[in-house]
Amino acid sequence: MENLNPKVRSLRTTVLVAFVAAVFAALVHSRIMAYSLAPTMKPADFHGLPIWYIPLAYIWDYLSHGWICLLFAFVTAGVIYEFIPKDIINRYMSSGKASGYALGVGVAPFFTVCSCTMIPLFSGILYAGAGIGPAISFLLMAPAANILTILLTGEIISWQIAVVRIFTSLATALVAGIIISHTPWGREIENEHKSNSPGNASTSIEKLPLDEKMISALKFSWYLGRQILPFFFAGLIVVSYVEAFLPERLVVGYLTGVQGILLASVVGGPLYTPTLVEIVLGRGLLNLGMSQAALLSWLMGQPYDIPNMMAASKIARWRVVASYALIAWAFSVFSGLGYGVVIGKL
Amino acid sequence: MVLVEVMGVDPPCKRCATTQKNAEDAASRLGKEGIEVTVSKLDISAKDTISKYGVILSPAIAVNGKVRVAGRIPSPDEIMKIIKQLGPS
Repeated sequence: MENLNPKVRSLRTTVLVAFVAAVFAALVHSRIMAYSLAPTMKPADFHGLPIWYIPLAYIWDYLSHGWICLLFAFVTAGVIYEFIPKDIINRYMSSGKASGYALGVGVAPFFTVCSCTMIPLFSGILYAGAGIGPAISFLLMAPAANILTILLTGEIISWQIAVVRIFTSLATALVAGIIISHTPWGREIENEHKSNSPGNASTSIEKLPLDEKMISALKFSWYLGRQILPFFFAGLIVVSYVEAFLPERLVVGYLTGVQGILLASVVGGPLYTPTLVEIVLGRGLLNLGMSQAALLSWLMGQPYDIPNMMAASKIARWRVVASYALIAWAFSVFSGLGYGVVIGKL
Repeated sequence: MVLVEVMGVDPPCKRCATTQKNAEDAASRLGKEGIEVTVSKLDISAKDTISKYGVILSPAIAVNGKVRVAGRIPSPDEIMKIIKQLGPS
């Protein structure tokens, strides 16, 4: 906390609140005017462009209207992370199974835009008493349903897919958590850590004035941006070439129907190391003719991506990790099939 | 003597590393004023850390066994202020 005179402090608060309000207003405005925040170039638009110019054209096409969406996503992620009361987590983490599951799938995704919180939360839920089931549910739910992912899936692909993705991920997370908590190897991990209850007595968190909270929130947004955006732009460059050169008949041939779902669910997982790239790449493949059902399977592969599994296996060992990866894969296939049947297009 | 424990992910993420640096910065500045501060690093996902503090949002800082900051990066000034508030020990 700095020693500032009250006038400077209230001025600073006003400016910061106005900035966040302006970012929100920009998004609302774009909604009212109904212009797209997603890339608008179609594969045909790339024909005849010089090879070095393709990514530039694509990134420019995206940024000229997509900047609002990116700015909004990162600012919101920072603000929510800073302002959501953090002692909820400490309070409910150790209070038994049912609230453990609710916490894992409901609250925790708001904290997990960054791996800084992902791994401690996973081990925290596990050690603090809620057990292996809620911990696994959290691990599967967090990457699929955090604020950044949902906002960008909604804006870049479609809100229908984004909402379906939330519910299918929720089902996957809960079922995987419950199944694993009943396996012998899941119980084994749980018993190892049972006796540890967290010491909550020794906590007295410093309170910050509003302006410093806002600065801290925006700093976190900036940090997230620096972590994620380089991958995101690298992803855009790859996608621009994919859209320009990957023949449509290949995508239509392989990424539609039941075979498309199976293929997308297998390729999806290991491909996404960096966050958010799967969304742009999914959008690119959709433009080239991938089916919506296959796209859903593709997006749902995220929880069993490789870095995530490595981090989890350090704590929960490979048998648990293999079980949840298998369950997540099965769900990704069935959700794709189910979605295809419901919308009438496999 | 004051004990500052910095809790973070191991291997350290950038935010935890910055917090560690700020804590050491604060410690060396307080050292010049004659207040002795020891900074140590804890792995936030280790069993011992969790059963002692129950903090799950990294980076976090505990001063003399009490958690004071969790889930954000405190500046060196803020850490100095927290320590000074403890009064003479």
